[in-house]
Amino acid sequence: MTEPSAVFRSLGDIGLCVEFGDRIDLTLNFRVLALDRALKDEGIDGLRETVPTHRSLGVIYDPARIRRRDLERVITGILDDLPALTEFPSRLIEIPVWYDDPWSEACAREHGADNNITYLAELNGISREEVIARHAGALHWVSAVGFQPSTYQAIPLSEMRLTAPKYERPRKWTDPGTVCLAGIITSYYPVRSPGGYQLLGRTPIDLFDPFQRNPAFADGPVLPRVGDRHRYVPIDGEEYQAIRAEVEAGRYAYRITEGVHRLAAGAPEGSR
Amino acid sequence: MTTSDVLEVIKPGVLTTVQDIGRPGYLADGIPPSGAFDTAALKLANLLVGNDPGDYLLTGDDPGAAGLEMTLRGPTLRALRDTVIAVTGAEMPVTVNGVPAPNWAVVPVRAGDEIVIGSARAGLRGYLAVAGGIDVPLVLGSRATNVRAGLGGVSGRALKAGDSLPGVHGSPDITDRRIRPDRVPVRTNPAELRVVLGPQDHLFTPDSVSAFLSTEWKLSPTSDRMGCRFIGPALTFLPRPEHLTVQAGSDPSNIVDDAICVGSIQVPSGLEPIVMGVDGPSLGGYAKIATVISPDLCRLAQVRPGEPVRFRAVDPDEAHELHLAARAVGTAADLA
Repeated sequence: MTEPSAVFRSLGDIGLCVEFGDRIDLTLNFRVLALDRALKDEGIDGLRETVPTHRSLGVIYDPARIRRRDLERVITGILDDLPALTEFPSRLIEIPVWYDDPWSEACAREHGADNNITYLAELNGISREEVIARHAGALHWVSAVGFQPSTYQAIPLSEMRLTAPKYERPRKWTDPGTVCLAGIITSYYPVRSPGGYQLLGRTPIDLFDPFQRNPAFADGPVLPRVGDRHRYVPIDGEEYQAIRAEVEAGRYAYRITEGVHRLAAGAPEGSR
Repeated sequence: MTTSDVLEVIKPGVLTTVQDIGRPGYLADGIPPSGAFDTAALKLANLLVGNDPGDYLLTGDDPGAAGLEMTLRGPTLRALRDTVIAVTGAEMPVTVNGVPAPNWAVVPVRAGDEIVIGSARAGLRGYLAVAGGIDVPLVLGSRATNVRAGLGGVSGRALKAGDSLPGVHGSPDITDRRIRPDRVPVRTNPAELRVVLGPQDHLFTPDSVSAFLSTEWKLSPTSDRMGCRFIGPALTFLPRPEHLTVQAGSDPSNIVDDAICVGSIQVPSGLEPIVMGVDGPSLGGYAKIATVISPDLCRLAQVRPGEPVRFRAVDPDEAHELHLAARAVGTAADLA
């Protein structure tokens, strides 16, 4: 694949979208991350904040300090010199999940749907256990964060062989902490929200801590960042309760390992 | 600075929250700026009572003093010490111990006075500033309330009867001050919201882009600080590549999730364009036809359900000039 070029698209008077493509593709996400890092290193006067997504970088700027066309010129210059990244620093975060938990089943039933794990098993032609094994067996790359505080979207870094359609009629509510799947994208509901992703299970750990009490939140109130890798670790109800108690007491030790992710020679699922 | 309770909530009104200019810097975390929907009105209220009006939505670090955003019908409050207040924004009648008091002007109150903010006669959101500002704790750099995420303000929620609002001791010696009549925003019918087309106007049929700009839309009752929906004709999309059906979803309005700015207009399924509000998401999977420029969020904040709105396209240079003009609001030049 040739390096994609970027297109500038307007987000009004204070926003600019730098779009690398319209699809989910790990190489595009690496370009987004590379530009994000380069923009921050450049220290541009008037650059306020950035929103990295799968395939585009949202840029919020202060028009009183920089005009839109000057910002575009600076970004174009940075893009011309941007090295094609093949590796990027990436934290590996273990997220314990009580797959097939009773709340998710009750939530599905309340919205007129069958147990979502059973549904995905039938749809993918595998057993219920295999649904969980395939999801927990893959490493997942966070390639967008947003929507609600700490909501993320992650794509599998190896072939997961598990897909999920969205609900035809979105749910009115979903329990906080629910881990869910649509297409090959894993996401998470931090607060009670409407939604259409299939419910996989519930995590006892918080990914959003506005008061930054746990040391895992020393850098910011939200744990997930674009460029993190997630491993979902199946737990049972007893483990869920034990971990939840530790989280609420502020004693839970988040399992985070610093590392690097390299674009694999073999095609990762997200890059096709 | 001394802080003590300055106002007690007797009746909370329909939806009254503590707001300032908002909480910039956390869009990449999915945390919206929040803050006053009509920032110009809050800034002018703060200016009247001698408070720091703060900077500007998402572009500045100074959230300014916090006041109250009051929706549709305001609260009944008791002053707990002698101070001055000002009410701006929607035309909400103000009485102090039953005596009418003006909007867009300083209103002195004494300890024990009952302040009643009535139903808006025009506009939707009123703003009340009190000398010194409301001193709830800063959360991520702002006192703004985000009810959905339970952040900021009074315990992350709307005001309830019995709440006491702490205030910094301000300058109650200001007793006679008002906004210059020509600086009070004028509401038009229909309201005109200026937009810059994009980021995904190219996914819509040219006829739909024209229809978007020529229609008189009506604000749906299903609107709030997260998003304002508009009722009007269905918009349609150009044919699109197959990979988007797989990766983004089967509806032609689905895109692979992309950054959203406050004011961006998503059009799920081509029906009911939604202008994202100050509590809106930073990421979304629906095509955005245009973005309302930030100065006109103040106009949007004052549109009532059922009222008409037109969108007018401006180019980025015009948007830039309109932005700079809006940034000038909140200085001594606005005072009579």
